[in-house]
Amino acid sequence: MDRQKKQPLWAAIPAQALLIVLAALVLLPLLWLVLSAFKPEKEIVSWPPTFWFRTFTLEHFATVDKRIDITRYLLNSVIFACGTTSLAVVVNSLAGYAYARMQFKGKNFLFLLTLATMMIPFQVIMVPSFLVVYKMGLYNTYLGLILPRVAVAASIFMMRAAFSGIPKELEDAARIDGLHEFGIFTRIMLPQVKSTLICMVVLSINGSWNDLLWPMLVATDTKMRTLANGLALFVGQHTIQYGAAFAGALISILPMLLLYLFGQRYFVEGMVGSGLKA
Amino acid sequence: MTPVRRLLTYLNPPSRSAYFFVAPSILLLLAFNLTPLIASFGLSLSSASMTLDRISFVGLEQFVRILSDARFLNSLKVTAILTLLEVPLQAFGAMVIGAMVANNSFWNKTLRAVYFLPIICSATVIGIMWRMILHSNVGFVTYALSLMGLGKINFLNSAQTTIFVVSFLSLWRSFGVSAIIYVTAVQQVNPSLYEAAQLDGAGRIRQFLNVTAPSIRPTFWFILMTRFAGSLQIFDIIYVTTGGGPNFTTESTVAYVYARAFASGGDMGYASAMSMVLFAFIMLVTVLLYRRMIRED
Repeated sequence: MDRQKKQPLWAAIPAQALLIVLAALVLLPLLWLVLSAFKPEKEIVSWPPTFWFRTFTLEHFATVDKRIDITRYLLNSVIFACGTTSLAVVVNSLAGYAYARMQFKGKNFLFLLTLATMMIPFQVIMVPSFLVVYKMGLYNTYLGLILPRVAVAASIFMMRAAFSGIPKELEDAARIDGLHEFGIFTRIMLPQVKSTLICMVVLSINGSWNDLLWPMLVATDTKMRTLANGLALFVGQHTIQYGAAFAGALISILPMLLLYLFGQRYFVEGMVGSGLKA
Repeated sequence: MTPVRRLLTYLNPPSRSAYFFVAPSILLLLAFNLTPLIASFGLSLSSASMTLDRISFVGLEQFVRILSDARFLNSLKVTAILTLLEVPLQAFGAMVIGAMVANNSFWNKTLRAVYFLPIICSATVIGIMWRMILHSNVGFVTYALSLMGLGKINFLNSAQTTIFVVSFLSLWRSFGVSAIIYVTAVQQVNPSLYEAAQLDGAGRIRQFLNVTAPSIRPTFWFILMTRFAGSLQIFDIIYVTTGGGPNFTTESTVAYVYARAFASGGDMGYASAMSMVLFAFIMLVTVLLYRRMIRED
């Protein structure tokens, strides 16, 4: 756009400097965390602190599983993130589709009920949420961790908006061809909203992977902890073992970094979409 | 029509399957969102142990108790301070930055991708990273201060600094998301408005104040609303940095609820009463800001 070109260089410098400082504020700590995971324990706590490693070592990755049950935490995080996400895709897109394109008695009431749950902050209901899971016998189980996180009003809303945009003719043609409702949904409609689906998948994986509070409440057993609450408990107890903590942090950040590098567009679209249309 | 026949007309094929389509989500939301909300009201009127082995109705007694609990009142104060420190910076700062990187040049896209990056960090990672960076003996910030000839600051253990650290980290985590939401709003502003402003000789700052800012007011209220509600629920950043200390100076209301219900207490009735008070505040703020946002639209 031409309003960018009109600006003289001297005026752009302070503005660009501010933007670069902000970017450094995000990037440098992360970069430092990554580099520090490869420094020997002694260098991590040396004065003055080093940014680039003086000595490169993989010892923390070789020994991290002796100090933290990292394989188990990693497995639990994968189960939590994938379990929640796969169920969420099914449940929320089915509901979004029905609210967008089907007529049924009680539709408005059920949709309003769904929207109303958006107004319930999780932290406010965390005490009874724990109790519901406990009373169902799901405390310290994968189901207890996953099921309460599956239905998300914002996702249903986002899917409804996506399905609303599909032309009616497509549906009519499929109906004339004799497809039943579920067939229309899976074969005709779902492929039309692929990018919204990917947004939901990416945000759901990232959200559950990084969720700390919910696993803290219902996955407290050492065998059930995810990376987020397992690592938090580890650094709470052993503040001295920085190398292991950094290695653990790097292991927990890496899958999401890859997801971000390949799906950044979907992170942004999902965040903006689920927020702005609400 | 007989009731049976009426029911059958409701259940003609497309609408019958509609119920199967919405049923899973409705059942899950009922079980894990609405039931807990209703249970919350009930629990706040009871005295209950952690797994409800012992539970008795006590009326409004818990509310009377929390109002004279200095630690609870302190937690409200801490929550309010954290919110007031973070939310305005988020709403105004992210607006300015969002407007600055709104043009789709390669450089701006790169900056946006960087600003958004903290979304991939769990609170745990943020805690591990920043506790070390702010370490009072070997941290980078301490080192930078010593280079400037300043002394050590005990960022995470001193009552004067911890609250700023917590609000900074909270800002660090979500600033990029707010900025990118603003970017989307700025990109939808009618370009002819900028052309008109340029003809009037308006520079970049004038254009921002006279064109951009007024055009994206709904987004401003939206950010204010969501960040307010989010900040009133602040917990995990505190848990991984200060743990509420020193001496409760960073213990938010949710942190106190957690402590009372899970960490050391199992006092579910008391914790629920505190949650209800917090809920009232969140609803109040949300409704006020929501009405304001609707008026802007």
